[in-house]
Amino acid sequence: MVAINYSSREVCCKIVYYGPGLSGKTTNLQYVHSKVPQDTRGKLISLATEADRTLYFDFLPINIGTINGFAAKFQLYTVPGQVYYNATRKLVLRGVDGLVFVADSQPDKMDENIESLSNLEENLREYGYDPETMPLVIQYNKRDLPGVLSVEELNRRLNPQVRPHFEASATIGNGVFDTLKLIIKIVLEKAKNSGGQRAPVSIKAQQTETVDQPVAVARTQPQPAPVGVASGSAAADSGYRPFPGTKTTIKEEPKISPAGFTPAPGPESETPIEQKVPEMAQTSEGNGSTDLSRPAMAPSLRRRADRKKRGFFKRLFGKK
Amino acid sequence: MSNDNFIIYEEEIAQIETLISKMLKGCEAKCALLVDKDGHLITRQGFTHSLDTTALAALLAGSFASTKEIAKLVGEPEFSVLFHQGKKDHIHMSLVGDRSILVVVFDDRTTIGMVRLYAKETAQELAKIFQEIADNKDSKGQGTGIDSNFADMAQNKLDDIFSD
Repeated sequence: MVAINYSSREVCCKIVYYGPGLSGKTTNLQYVHSKVPQDTRGKLISLATEADRTLYFDFLPINIGTINGFAAKFQLYTVPGQVYYNATRKLVLRGVDGLVFVADSQPDKMDENIESLSNLEENLREYGYDPETMPLVIQYNKRDLPGVLSVEELNRRLNPQVRPHFEASATIGNGVFDTLKLIIKIVLEKAKNSGGQRAPVSIKAQQTETVDQPVAVARTQPQPAPVGVASGSAAADSGYRPFPGTKTTIKEEPKISPAGFTPAPGPESETPIEQKVPEMAQTSEGNGSTDLSRPAMAPSLRRRADRKKRGFFKRLFGKK
Repeated sequence: MSNDNFIIYEEEIAQIETLISKMLKGCEAKCALLVDKDGHLITRQGFTHSLDTTALAALLAGSFASTKEIAKLVGEPEFSVLFHQGKKDHIHMSLVGDRSILVVVFDDRTTIGMVRLYAKETAQELAKIFQEIADNKDSKGQGTGIDSNFADMAQNKLDDIFSD
């Protein structure tokens, strides 16, 4: 699902490059990384083995700029292609918005392509996604090699639903941008259709900067609400408060035994916990959640600890 | 898993950020990130200037996802807390509800016990907020920031950026 953050005014989509091992998924990302302007892209992160085979994923964030007041961001991921990495491959698919299937056009790789495609379908279904409606663009890669299969043949074997497809040579960059542009377009079209008709809210100052305040500043303000202060019509428009969390109820975290939080006799945690526990205990009482597994502290000790704490902050920050 | 768009509004973020900055003050950590399990950064607080938070969010979500698989192998549904210890800086991650992760980066000015204590409390509060938001979703309708010409305008931008 597309992530839309009204606070930092971002629309964020996750696009995953899928396909058999050595079909050119990482090469696609490397080409994009090498060609797009530096201010548009982030750092390309590769979690790869020493032999440069993807172990977990490659990650490339792209920010194409502001559209209608929203920064459009895309996170490009690749999966490890080898069959035995299915566990990690599946993890990368979580929350995917659009897929690029990178197929190897060489005749002897056809079986691997088919296997990978059916594995993709299986993994999508396990997450509850419908492979039929998931935005997917197929890229027939390595078209520059001699003896590759014809596009008709590839379409017949890999693309019976006639999905959009491109011929590509990722090493020299042919078709890489065409594929990416199309999948982004399909993803945004789908996001638009799945949403309502609400017009975007008026634009306030970019909030991401204020969020970035150093801790020291935040400490001097008892209730820092950098975003809430400037919250525009989105906040006022309380008619919309959707949050597309799954309807399943949030799981209760398993209770951790009180021993986990008692000031252990260990030398490092003794003093600070003695100082801090009372404040937290009071907070939780105020909120009615008194069942927190934490020892209560005698009122006299609590007052003492509070005094200590005030003194500590005074020393740290000077006068308030 | 839901296929809906993940939408979060300013008022919710304000509530969330207030809670997180309160936690930061309390446990004296350097910074905190709230990350979606899919790898999207929801919000950040504290001293994050020197951090590549986008990449951090993606990697932390990946790390959390892989430990979930490890948990399954040993018969646990999920590990709710993860801790990475470094020489100077350390990272504490805890699960918030069923779809977010609260990440606290801290150094030796505080202790793991303090961070754990405050993070647990904050995670519970945040989970309540997320639950409220989820409960309100159906009654309050749905909207997105993506209107009809968003895709077309994005396409024009892409043509400019992605030229060989």
